[in-house]
Amino acid sequence: MNLLALDTATPSTVVGVLAGAAVGQERDDPSPGERPRHAQLVLALADRALRRAGLGWEDIERVGVGVGPGSFTGLRIGVATARGLAQSADVPLVGVSTLRTLAAVVLGLGTEGAGRAGGGRDTLAAAAAPGVLTALDARRGEAFVAAFRGSPAGPDEVAAAAAVSPDGLGQLVEGLPDGEGWWGVGDGAIRFRGHLEPAGVVVPPDDSSLHRVDGEALCRLAAAAPPQAWEAVNPDYLREPDAEVALRASRR
Amino acid sequence: MILGLETSCDDTCAAVVTDRGEVRSNVISSQGVHDRFGGVVPEVASRQHLELVNAVLADALARADTTLAELDSVAVTQGPGLVGALLVGLASAKAIAAARRLPLAPVDHLQGHVAANFLEPDPFPPPFLCLIASGGHTFLAAVRDTAGYEVLGSTLDDAAGEAVDKGARLLGLPFPGGPHLERLALEGDAEAFPFPTGLGRGGRRGPMANGLDFSFAGLKTALLYRVRELGAEAERRRADLAASYQRAIVEALATRVEQGLESSGLGRLAVGGGVAANARLRERLSAIGVPMKVPPPALCTDNAAMIASAARFSPRLAYPDYLGLDAYASGQARPDVGAPVAASAAASGATGAQGPVR
Ligand SMILES: [Zn+2]
Repeated sequence: MNLLALDTATPSTVVGVLAGAAVGQERDDPSPGERPRHAQLVLALADRALRRAGLGWEDIERVGVGVGPGSFTGLRIGVATARGLAQSADVPLVGVSTLRTLAAVVLGLGTEGAGRAGGGRDTLAAAAAPGVLTALDARRGEAFVAAFRGSPAGPDEVAAAAAVSPDGLGQLVEGLPDGEGWWGVGDGAIRFRGHLEPAGVVVPPDDSSLHRVDGEALCRLAAAAPPQAWEAVNPDYLREPDAEVALRASRR
Repeated sequence: MILGLETSCDDTCAAVVTDRGEVRSNVISSQGVHDRFGGVVPEVASRQHLELVNAVLADALARADTTLAELDSVAVTQGPGLVGALLVGLASAKAIAAARRLPLAPVDHLQGHVAANFLEPDPFPPPFLCLIASGGHTFLAAVRDTAGYEVLGSTLDDAAGEAVDKGARLLGLPFPGGPHLERLALEGDAEAFPFPTGLGRGGRRGPMANGLDFSFAGLKTALLYRVRELGAEAERRRADLAASYQRAIVEALATRVEQGLESSGLGRLAVGGGVAANARLRERLSAIGVPMKVPPPALCTDNAAMIASAARFSPRLAYPDYLGLDAYASGQARPDVGAPVAASAAASGATGAQGPVR
């Protein structure tokens, strides 16, 4: 299958292309403090990834997209782009949890490219771990977090995605099965390293590529998932708009 | 055929327009979800746009009895507007165009309002003076050709439609206030209260140095004070308050139109924006006595047919030159990434009522 997949839930702009069995990715990773460049880059990177794979837009048979959780604006740019591509090319669309994509690399599932991406040794060490906690910086002192264990079918979710405070993060870790030795990845794991490591979670160094969404893993997950109608693929915001919360509070 | 997309505020819009300017379809999905907040909430609007955009687009194609395969180009609002909302339309339009390697025309929203006048079946060609008054923008422009306009004056504070909504709210009317205020004003005496028109602050050194700007903030404040002064009496005088308030807004707009016609030497008038739906305003403007064009309501309020109309006279970017386009919130912030350059010497209001001058 030829598949194009993108993820703009985090500050990175990530595009992967699966061309038959070959997989490749193009990405932009802003330095800490730099603004994301999703709107300017996602289609330009897709164009480059397709050309590198020797494919044209007309060869794409499926589109995959990271549905977060993550930045609201970033998610909308990604989902709107993916839906537009799928609608225009008249091909199925697949939504993939961004937290699941992060987990897939650590668990060494469907990511032959992981070594080249720089996570090789870490990945081998992590594959022996009971599971992985994936966490993204959700701002406001919280993290978007989920937990996964490896299984032949892919990352198996043991704690569903939620927005949690640092204390909530500690409670989540305590409740994880199979004791200690879980790994924690994602920019939320870096941000809350001080809460995770004392609880026994292994957090790779800040500059490890395991903390970033991998375009090749995204492609593999998108290829394995059942296709959806484009209107069924929506961002997983995990949070209501502030105005909604304020309105409810004012009525109470 | 041109597919147009517009998501700059709270309406999710898609339209199909032919190269000759015939409107084959014009779908406007008004979100409605903002009424309970008493105003448009950007995050709510952005979410709603994404929920609706692909279905609205498919509906526009179906109503035009056409398919994506028959399109020649895609047009989309690049700004000004709510950035998060604009980005949904822009990302969708770029993707739709990219997958088919179609050209894309990024359109200035205000140029879109001007270009609504160029659509069939009754096109109104330049030159003319154009008044656009809505909840998001209020400006007066000299339109001398189909590709651009020169801003002669814009609001220094609230847009006219915003003033209507705020006034309606002070009178206890539901959001959006326009139709409610107009209905209530019908039963009132427009001469009952002398509200300020915001025209007195002109002069060579005043804030309205160029003489054709608008200001509605003082009017809103005057209404607030008058309601407080009246106390319990205010409830009984609501219709008079509404009529007098509406009259001040209509007079402000019409006086500037008269001044604009005189100073520009233009002898024709076009009106657009949601406030153009106000019957009192139309009556007052037609009394000026110059040929006047008011497009049908669906082309006056925000819509995508006007965006596609503007694209007929704008540069179209070939694939892949538009892939990097970003949205812009105000006229001043317009990036020139492959887009026509915006430049205007005219003073501009907080709403960024500034447009490309060519
Ligand atoms: Zn408008």
